[in-house]
Amino acid sequence: MSDLAALIAQQSINGVYLGCLYVMVALGLTLIYGVLNQINFAHADFVTVGAFTAFFAATRLGTKMLGLPDAAGYLLSLFFALGIGALLGLAINAAVFAPLRERGDELRPLIATIGVSVLLENAQLALFGPIPYQFDSPFARETIRFGRIFFTGQSVLVVVVSALAIGALYAFMRFSFWGKALRAVAQDRETAGLMGINPGLLIGLTIVIASALAGMAGALLGPVIVLTPFAGASVVVKAFAIVIIGGFGNVQGTIIAGILVGIIEAFTVQYLGSGLIDLVVFVLLLAMLVVRPTGLIAERKEENV
Amino acid sequence: MRRWAYFGIAIALVAAAPWLIATPYWRGILVLCAMNVLLALGLNLVIGYTGQLNLGQSAFFAIGAYATTILVKTYHWNFWLAAGAAVIGAGVLGLALAAFAVRLRGHYLAIASLGFAVITYQVLVNWESVTEGVRGIYGILPPVPSTVGLYYLIAGIALIVYWLMDNLVRSPVGDTLRAIREDEVSAASLGVKSALWKAFAFSVGAGVAALAGVFYPGFVGTLVPDAFNIIESFTMMAMVIVGGMGTMIGPVIGAVVLTFLPELLRGFGELRLMVYGLALTLVVLFMPGGIVQLAKRK
Repeated sequence: MSDLAALIAQQSINGVYLGCLYVMVALGLTLIYGVLNQINFAHADFVTVGAFTAFFAATRLGTKMLGLPDAAGYLLSLFFALGIGALLGLAINAAVFAPLRERGDELRPLIATIGVSVLLENAQLALFGPIPYQFDSPFARETIRFGRIFFTGQSVLVVVVSALAIGALYAFMRFSFWGKALRAVAQDRETAGLMGINPGLLIGLTIVIASALAGMAGALLGPVIVLTPFAGASVVVKAFAIVIIGGFGNVQGTIIAGILVGIIEAFTVQYLGSGLIDLVVFVLLLAMLVVRPTGLIAERKEENV
Repeated sequence: MRRWAYFGIAIALVAAAPWLIATPYWRGILVLCAMNVLLALGLNLVIGYTGQLNLGQSAFFAIGAYATTILVKTYHWNFWLAAGAAVIGAGVLGLALAAFAVRLRGHYLAIASLGFAVITYQVLVNWESVTEGVRGIYGILPPVPSTVGLYYLIAGIALIVYWLMDNLVRSPVGDTLRAIREDEVSAASLGVKSALWKAFAFSVGAGVAALAGVFYPGFVGTLVPDAFNIIESFTMMAMVIVGGMGTMIGPVIGAVVLTFLPELLRGFGELRLMVYGLALTLVVLFMPGGIVQLAKRK
């Protein structure tokens, strides 16, 4: 293999791995938007809380208290992060989305979640301090080599876990009764209500699923990013871009856009330097809004006039 | 007549403030407060009166600060000339953002304007030959040497901006903006050129934010990109919402309360910033009209 081909293959793999992490974060945003037409700005902080939960679950509980091997401790921590994410989802639904849902205003829930975000971020700052935590994943130590292409065990784990999560979500939405009911609520909340579906319950369920995904994404991101109380924000800002590029509320589009942004990021690091990543992604976003505001995959949506 | 009386009381309060709380530290907070009032006024025109969810105000605040400082330090312009250029430049950039904004609504606009703020922040960090990047610019002098002087200057400007904006929202232009906020389609069907007026609101809002930015570096003495993180857009929004958006006095009250409240809670250390978040959420949930609503209800 030539140098260039090896380089391109290597960066594409890095890109897909990064992209999977972004998809895990962005999927939650898009799911909530799909059924509720709302944005959860505190999603970023759910990611960060997930990362910190995983850190303490892996290092304190898993290996120290239970005496598990490193790898098992880390895998266990993924589920703790998933659980705390789900709890945060329950909480924000009860506190913000459910009470404000009936007033039919798109501005207020958004602003309320900005408030929750500032609150959570500073609560974590008070608890954990601004100094970055060293979160070592045992999988990051393993390096797998294919000719001249390298990747870590962590990247394999990330791709496998996100593929499983996306697959489970797809199967749930496609084949289960609850999934069907959810899609019905997303299409037309009132009619779904008339068919005996409880929209409030299903919207709550969606927010819990979305937040659980965010928590788990945090556990996967923890060892990759600089783990501070502000860690989630930088990722979620990109996830917002991904959700728009993919088309708000469009799950397929979000997955494609997430992987695409991951690959673009990997090549930006290679050729332009890591400082310019956000710049490139957001210029792409603004360009996208000019050329194709409905996202990569256009979905027809009637608007009430 | 009552309007004039209220305005007279406001001028008296503004004039008396630095003598009521006369320690140097609190006088510094007063300067900050006057700046925040300007920022809240600018955002209120866009979000409160025109109903456009703009999360990019921190970018215009940054442009005012950086443009003025660079023109004065590197190109040796006169401060006031530089300030005027910075405000006009931000207004023009506001028009550029409006080019996106007029096509987008609600959440799309929120994310696009957030993107604009992220891009501006990244440019400040990366364009080191001009902005010095994260190293920052040091030793910036204020336009007037004393803190009290600086306070009177900014508060005076804030009063003028308030006066002008109050007249604007009472004029037919104000009705037009409110019509766009309430129902853009109906407004358009009545012949309102909504794109034009939204662009106008964005541009004026951007100019006012830049006007606050003009004085920021001289007051702090240093200029680093982190002062203009997107969190700044959120704190401006908190002021507008907590005070009561879509009213003139509301954002002013919000700015004053949210400037002084964290200072009073300084003893709690890190927890003080949580106040912003908590106040924002609770106000939206239980007091959607802000503090102003509370005063009206009696």
